Amino acid sequence: MPKLDITVEVCGMAGDGTIAAGGLINEGMSRGGLSVLAFDSYPAEIRGFGRCVTRSRIGHERRTALEEHTHVLISLNDEQSLSRVPFLTEHSAVFFDNQPPTLVPEESSLAAHVEPATALFGMPFTDLAAQAAGSDRGRNLVALGGFAAVFQVPSELFEPAIVKKFKSKGQKVVESNVRCFQAGVAYALERFSERLWDPVSFPPPKEGPEIVMLSGNTAIAEGALDAGLHLYFGYPITPATPIMEYLAKRLPERGGRLMQMEDEIASIGGVLGGFFAGKRSMTATSGPGFALMTELITHGVMSETPAVIINAQRGGPATGLPTKTEQSDLHAAVFGGPGDSARIVIAPTDVPECYHLTIKSFQLAEKYQIPVIVLTDFFLDNRVESVPLPVAEDDARKDMTVYPDPDAKERYRRFKITESGISPRALPGMEGYIFAATGLEHTEKGLPDYTPENHSKMTEKRYRKLRSALEDLPSPVEHTPRGRVDLGVIGWGSNFGSVHEAVNRACERGLKVGALKLTAIYPYHEDAIRDFMSRCDEILIAELNFEGQLANLVGHLHRKEVLRLNRVTGLPMPPSVIYKKILEILGETDS
Amino acid sequence: MKKVRAMHDEHFVIIGNGPAGNQAALTLRQKVPEARITMISAEHERFYRPHLLPDFVAGTIPENEVYAAALEHYRTHRIKLRLGQRVVAVDFSKRNLLLEHKETVRFSGLILAVGGKPRIPEPLLVFRDLLLTFKTFSDARKWIERLHRVDSVLIVGGDLTSLAVTKALLRLGKEVRFVLNEDAFRPVRCKPEVFQEAAHRLSLQGVKVLEGRKLRSVTRINEDLFEVTADRERFRVGLVGAFFGLVPHVRFLARSGLTIERGVLVDETLNTGFEGVYAAGDCAQVYHTHIRDYWVSIGHDNAVSLGRIAALNLLGEKMKAEPKGETILCDDVRVNTSWWRDF
Amino acid sequence: MKTKGAYPAENKDATVEAPAVAYSTDAADAYYMDVNVPCQSGCPAGTNIPAYIRCLFEHRYDESYQINRTANILPGVLGRICSRPCEDRCRHGELELGRPVNICHIKRAASDFRRAPLNPERISPSMEKTIAIVGAGPAGLAAAHDLAAVGIKVTLLEAFDEPGGMLKYGIPRFRLPRDVLKAEIDAILEMGIKLKTGCRVGPDVSLQELLDQHDAVLLAAGCYVPRDLGIPGEKLPGVLTGLNMMMDLEARRLPELGERVLVLGAGFTAFDCARTALRSGAEDVAICIRRTEEDFTVTEDEIFQAKKEGIRILPLMTSSRILGRDRAEGVEFLRTRPVGFGPDGRRRIEAIEGSEFVLPADSIVVAVGQKPAPFPFPGGGNSDGRLEVSPEQIQTSISRLYVAGDYRTGPSTVIEAIADGREAAERIAESLTGRIFRQTCVRQQDTKATDRERSWDYLPRQEMPTVEPAGARLEDGAVEVETGFSREQASEEAKRCYLCYLHYEIDLNRCIYCRYCIDVAPRDCIKLVSRIHLNDDGAVVGLEETANWREVNAVVIDNSRCIRCGECVRVCPVDCISVTRVERVERIHEKGASHA
Repeated sequence: MPKLDITVEVCGMAGDGTIAAGGLINEGMSRGGLSVLAFDSYPAEIRGFGRCVTRSRIGHERRTALEEHTHVLISLNDEQSLSRVPFLTEHSAVFFDNQPPTLVPEESSLAAHVEPATALFGMPFTDLAAQAAGSDRGRNLVALGGFAAVFQVPSELFEPAIVKKFKSKGQKVVESNVRCFQAGVAYALERFSERLWDPVSFPPPKEGPEIVMLSGNTAIAEGALDAGLHLYFGYPITPATPIMEYLAKRLPERGGRLMQMEDEIASIGGVLGGFFAGKRSMTATSGPGFALMTELITHGVMSETPAVIINAQRGGPATGLPTKTEQSDLHAAVFGGPGDSARIVIAPTDVPECYHLTIKSFQLAEKYQIPVIVLTDFFLDNRVESVPLPVAEDDARKDMTVYPDPDAKERYRRFKITESGISPRALPGMEGYIFAATGLEHTEKGLPDYTPENHSKMTEKRYRKLRSALEDLPSPVEHTPRGRVDLGVIGWGSNFGSVHEAVNRACERGLKVGALKLTAIYPYHEDAIRDFMSRCDEILIAELNFEGQLANLVGHLHRKEVLRLNRVTGLPMPPSVIYKKILEILGETDS
Repeated sequence: MKKVRAMHDEHFVIIGNGPAGNQAALTLRQKVPEARITMISAEHERFYRPHLLPDFVAGTIPENEVYAAALEHYRTHRIKLRLGQRVVAVDFSKRNLLLEHKETVRFSGLILAVGGKPRIPEPLLVFRDLLLTFKTFSDARKWIERLHRVDSVLIVGGDLTSLAVTKALLRLGKEVRFVLNEDAFRPVRCKPEVFQEAAHRLSLQGVKVLEGRKLRSVTRINEDLFEVTADRERFRVGLVGAFFGLVPHVRFLARSGLTIERGVLVDETLNTGFEGVYAAGDCAQVYHTHIRDYWVSIGHDNAVSLGRIAALNLLGEKMKAEPKGETILCDDVRVNTSWWRDF
Repeated sequence: MKTKGAYPAENKDATVEAPAVAYSTDAADAYYMDVNVPCQSGCPAGTNIPAYIRCLFEHRYDESYQINRTANILPGVLGRICSRPCEDRCRHGELELGRPVNICHIKRAASDFRRAPLNPERISPSMEKTIAIVGAGPAGLAAAHDLAAVGIKVTLLEAFDEPGGMLKYGIPRFRLPRDVLKAEIDAILEMGIKLKTGCRVGPDVSLQELLDQHDAVLLAAGCYVPRDLGIPGEKLPGVLTGLNMMMDLEARRLPELGERVLVLGAGFTAFDCARTALRSGAEDVAICIRRTEEDFTVTEDEIFQAKKEGIRILPLMTSSRILGRDRAEGVEFLRTRPVGFGPDGRRRIEAIEGSEFVLPADSIVVAVGQKPAPFPFPGGGNSDGRLEVSPEQIQTSISRLYVAGDYRTGPSTVIEAIADGREAAERIAESLTGRIFRQTCVRQQDTKATDRERSWDYLPRQEMPTVEPAGARLEDGAVEVETGFSREQASEEAKRCYLCYLHYEIDLNRCIYCRYCIDVAPRDCIKLVSRIHLNDDGAVVGLEETANWREVNAVVIDNSRCIRCGECVRVCPVDCISVTRVERVERIHEKGASHA
C-alpha cells in the first residue's frame, strides 16, 4: 500500500469561504488519523478582492515541509484559480463550478487550461447550494462534499467538523451547511461514480493523546501560558499579532495581564520591567519591531535581566514583505544592538517545538538572567500541523532563578563573578538585599565603573555565562547514516523540515547524505557541529536569506568553504529544490 | 506561466476524440504548423480504438493495448486535448461553441467528429435501464464486470458491433441468444438476404437465433437475472445487450441550422453547408448515388480516411469522400468492417 | 366592474389591507407584458398562464380552470391537444435553465380536478340582435360563446351531425376523449345558443338567406377540402386522404388498411393517421417526410409517442408516383437534399436527380393539409363567384359578413382558431351595438412575496404519464394514451413556473450601489447600466451596460433575463427592490362601454 501524500488546495476570492473549507479539510482528515500540514494565504480585504489559497498536505507520514505542486485543486473562483494551474501534478484532480452565472470566455476558463490527464470534476456548486439551502452561501461546502465523495472519505469525518465549526452561528446555519455538504456528496457519487479516486486509506484508529490542529503562533502562546507567563507587553505586527490576540483573551483567564504599548520600545521595556520584578514576561514582534527593541535588549544583557522575545521573521528589510516568509533576522537576533551583547537565540523548527522551546526560553531566561530570543518565521507561525495536544514539562513553571545564599545579605553582590558566570539574583523587595541595576558597565555590586580591568572581567563573565547555557540548550540533532557521508546538509527554523525531507529522499535513492538540525543558534554547540562536519565531505547550508546568515555564523567550523543554498522568494523552500541541489553537488542526474 | 494565445489567431476545433477526430487533428497540424488546434471530447478517456473493445472483453488483449495514443503525442504535436468536456451548442454565424460548463470557445474552423451513441428504439426505451449497450471503454468495463457473474446473454438488435461481441461472448464460454432485428444494421439499410445470411452464420457458431422481430418485455428478477418475452417465447438470461446501431451524437446541434438525420448531412467534400465546418467519421452522412440513399461510414479505416479528408478540405482542398477498405456486400454497397469479415 | 382572468385580490385576513390595484392601458405596459411574460404573449388567446399555474399550485382547481376559460373556452380540450406555442417561449426552457414548464398538462390537470359546475356567465342582458355562425368548430364555438354572453342571439350552423369541427372529426379519441369534448361544448351551448346540425351552407341554406335573416353572419367553416399531392396514381383505390380517414374513424367506419401503411405528410394529421393505422391493425406504419425530423411542427411528445408505438419516420424523401394497377401497391420516391433556408425560416429541399426508389405499401395516406371550401355567393365575390376573403381581415368586403378561424387564415392551430373566433366576436359585438364589452389591460398590484422558493428552480420537469407498454394502447384503440397528471405531479410541475408575472424593480432613489444583488444573481439579470433606451411609447427596450464604474448610472434588473428567484430581494440591505404582480387581464364592461 503506497503511502498517501497529497496536497489539496482550495482557491477562491475573499468572501468565498475558502479558508473555512480548507479548515474543514484539515479537521476532517486529521480526525481520520492522517497527518496534516496546512498553510493558507489570504488577502487583507474581507470580501471582493484578492486571492485566498489554502494548501493542505495530507498523508500517512508526518510532514514539516510543503512542496510546490498540488494534487487536488478545489476552485471556488476560477479566475483566481487560473494562476494555480501550472502547479498541478500530472494526475491531479480539479473541482470547479460548472454552472457559473454568466458565460465564460475560453481564456478565463479553468477547464481550458488544465492538462488532459487532470481529472475535471465539474459540479454546479451554486445551484446545489441554492437547492439545498436556499442561497449560494454554502458553495464551499458543496465543493467539500464533492471532494469527500470522489476521494471516498467517509462523511462521518467531515460532518462533525462542520457542526463544530458553525455551532456558534446557530442550529439553522449548521443544518443548512450540512445539507450543502450532503448535496455535494450525493451529486458527486451519482455523476462521478465511474471516476472515483482510489479511496483514501485511513489508518486504523489508535489509542493515544488527542490530536489537534495547531498553528505555530498558537503553540507559542500556549507554551507561554503553560510556562506561567504573567505579563505580556506588545505591539501588533504581522505575523506576530495572533500571539497577542490569543493571549489578550487567555492571559487574564490565567491571572495574568496584557497591555498593548505605544511601540516596540515600550514593549521590551515592559518585559524587562516585569521580569526584573520576578514575573515571567514576554513580547512578540517581527523584524522591524525587533530592530526598535535592540537597545533595550542589550540593556537586558548588561543589566543581566531576563526577557523572552519572540521574533516572528518575515520578508525584509524594513517593512519588507509583511505576509511572506524569510529567515533573515538571524544576524540581528544574535548581534543586533550596541556592544558585545551576545544573548541566547533559539529557533524551533516545527509546531511542537514552538510550544516546548517557548517554555524552555522562560527557563533559560530566568536561570541565565539574559534576554532569550525565539526566532520563528511566517511559515512556521501561520501553518497548522496536526499534532498531539502538547503537554507541558513537569518543570515548566519551576522557578529557575538562582537565588543568593540567605546569609549573604550584607555582602550581597548582584553581579558576583562566578565560575559559571551566573551571579546570584535577588529580586527587588527581597528583604536585606541591596543592589543597583544599570545599563552602565558596573562593579560586582552594580555601581557604575569604567575601569579597564573591570570592563574586561565583566564582559568575559557575561560571555562565560553564555557558554554555561550550552548545557541547557537543546543539542544539534543528526539524521545521518553511519560513517562518512558525501554531503551534510544543515538547516534551521522551519526550513529544516524541507532539508530533512530532501535528505530522506536522497537517502532513499541510495545517496550518502546526512542532515543536521540546529535549534540553538546562539550559543551554538561548536563541538557537536564540528564533529558532524568532520564526517561530511561537503557541507551545504540551506536557508531563506540572501547571504547565508547561519553559514556566516557556523560555516567557519568546517575545514573548507561551506556550500550555500539561499532563496528569498518569500515562499517556503520546497524540498525538491534542496533535493535538486543535493543531486547537483553529488553530480547525479534527476531520474 | 503558460498564456493562452491571442484569440485572433487561427483556431481549429475538433469535436470528438476517436479515429476521425485524431486523424483530422494530426493532418491539420502537419499542414499548418502554427495554428492553434484543440480537440474536445465528452468522454474522459484518451484515444482508444473502439473496434478492439470486444477483444478486450474477451480477454484476448490487455487494457493498455486498446489505447491508441499516449498523452505525450498531443504535447509533441501541440494539440490541446480537452477530455471530459461536452459541447452543448454551436453558433455558426458567431463562430463560437458553448461547452456544458458555460464556456464559449471561438473557432475559425470546426470539424465535427462526434461519432455515435448506441440507439435504443423508442418502443424499448421503457426498458432502458435494464439493457446494456456497447460503445465506450466504460461500457466494456461494465460488461466485463457483469460477465464475471452471468453465464447467459441475450443480444437484441444485431448491428455490426453485436457480431464482434457475440464472438467475444462465445470465446468466454457464455450461452448466447440472439434476436435479430431487420432494422438493426443501422445506419446501413440491408436487404433481407444479408440478414438471413447473418442469422445462418450465427447459428453455425452455436448461437440461438430467435426469429421473432419484436422484443415485448424485459423484467428484472434480480441484479443478474432477467426475464424476457420476445413475441411468443419467454426465457431468462443473465444480461441483455442492446445493439441497434448508432445514432449520431448530435442532439446539441439541433436547431443550429445543420441538417441531421442519421448523421450530420454533408456534401461529398464533407462540408456541412456552413463555411469552415465539416463532419467526419460515424457522424457524417453523405448522399451516395450508387445506393440512392444517404450513407454513413462505419469502421475505423473509413473514419480515419474521412478525418483526413475533412481536415484537408477545411484547409481549402476539394477532396471527395469515398468509402474504402475491406467490405462486404450489403444492398449493393460495400460496407467496411473488419468485424463482419472475421465472422 | 368585474375583472376576469386575474389572480383575485381576495382578502383572507380582513384586518390587513390589500395593496392597491391599478389598471393600465398604456402601450408601454402592454409592451412590457409582451416581453416579460413570454408564455402569455406567445399564446394567441392571451391566456394568463402564470396565474392559472399559481392557482393550481394552491389546489384551487376551479379557479385555475376558470382563468383558462376566460381566454380559451375549451381548456380540457386544449389541455390535451394544444400546439403549445407558450412552451416554446417559456423562460424555464432557455438554454441553461432546463426544460420549459409543462404548461399544457397543468391546464389539463385543472380541468381533470375541477369540481364546480360551469355556470353560464352573462355580461349583458339579451338584446334584439341576432347572428348566424357557420361552423361549430373551435372558432365558431368561441365566437358563439362570447356573442351569447353579451346578449346577442346566436344561431350556430354545423354541416356535420355533431358540433366540434376538427376536434371531433380530425383528432382521434386516443388523443381527445369525446366525453371531455362534449362536456365543454355543452357548457357553451348552455348560454342559449341555438345549434342546427346537418345544415350545409349552399345545399341547405344560402349565404344570402342567412344575411337576410340575421344582423350579422360569421363564417367559421374551417378547412375541410384535402390538398392533393398532384402526382400520378393519387386516385387509385388504397389511397386515402388523412382527413377523410379521420372522419371515417369518427363515424366508426374503420378503413381496411392492410399490413403496410405509408403516410405522406408531416403535420398533426399525418401523425394522427399513422397512429390510427396502427390501431386499425396495420403492422408496419411509416411516416414519409420531405425534410427531417428536426423540422416537424408537431410537439416532441407526439413524435416520441408515435415512435414508441412503433411508427417509423423516414425523412428526406419526396413522393413522385403512386404505383399499382387496380389498386395502390407502393410509392416511388426521390431522395431530397437540404438547400438552405427560405425567408420564412423553413428548411428548403430539392429532389436529387436519378435517386428514384420504391417502397411497397398496402395503403397510402395522403395528409398534406387542407383548404377551405369556397361558398357560392352570387352577386359578390370575385370572378369565380367565390367570396373574396383576405386573411388579414375579419370583416369581409361584404357588409355584415365576417370570417374567422381556419376558414380565414388557412389551416392553423386550435388555439389560434379560438383566439380568432373571440376577436371576431368582439368586433362583431362592437359593430352591432356600438359598444365595447371587453378590454385588455395590465393589472398591477404590489406584493412582497416571491411566492416560490429558489430550490424549485431545480425540480426536474414532470412528464405526462402514458399507457405503458405501448403495445397495451393498441388493444383498445380508443383508450386515451396520456393518462393525466396526478394532483401531486401537477403541483410539483406548477412549482417550476417562475411566475414571470412578478416584476422586480430596483428603486434608483434608494439603491446604494452595493451590488450585493449582482453577487447573488443566478445569471446576467442585474446589470450596471449607463443608459436606458425607451421606445416612443416609453417602454424600456434596451439597456446599455458598462464595466466602467465611472459610467454607471444605475443598477437595473433586466426583467427579460430575470427568473424571479427572489435572491436580490433577500440580500438587499436597504430593501429597495419592489415586487409587483403585473397581469394582462380582461376587464368586462357590463352592458358595454361607449369607448375604452
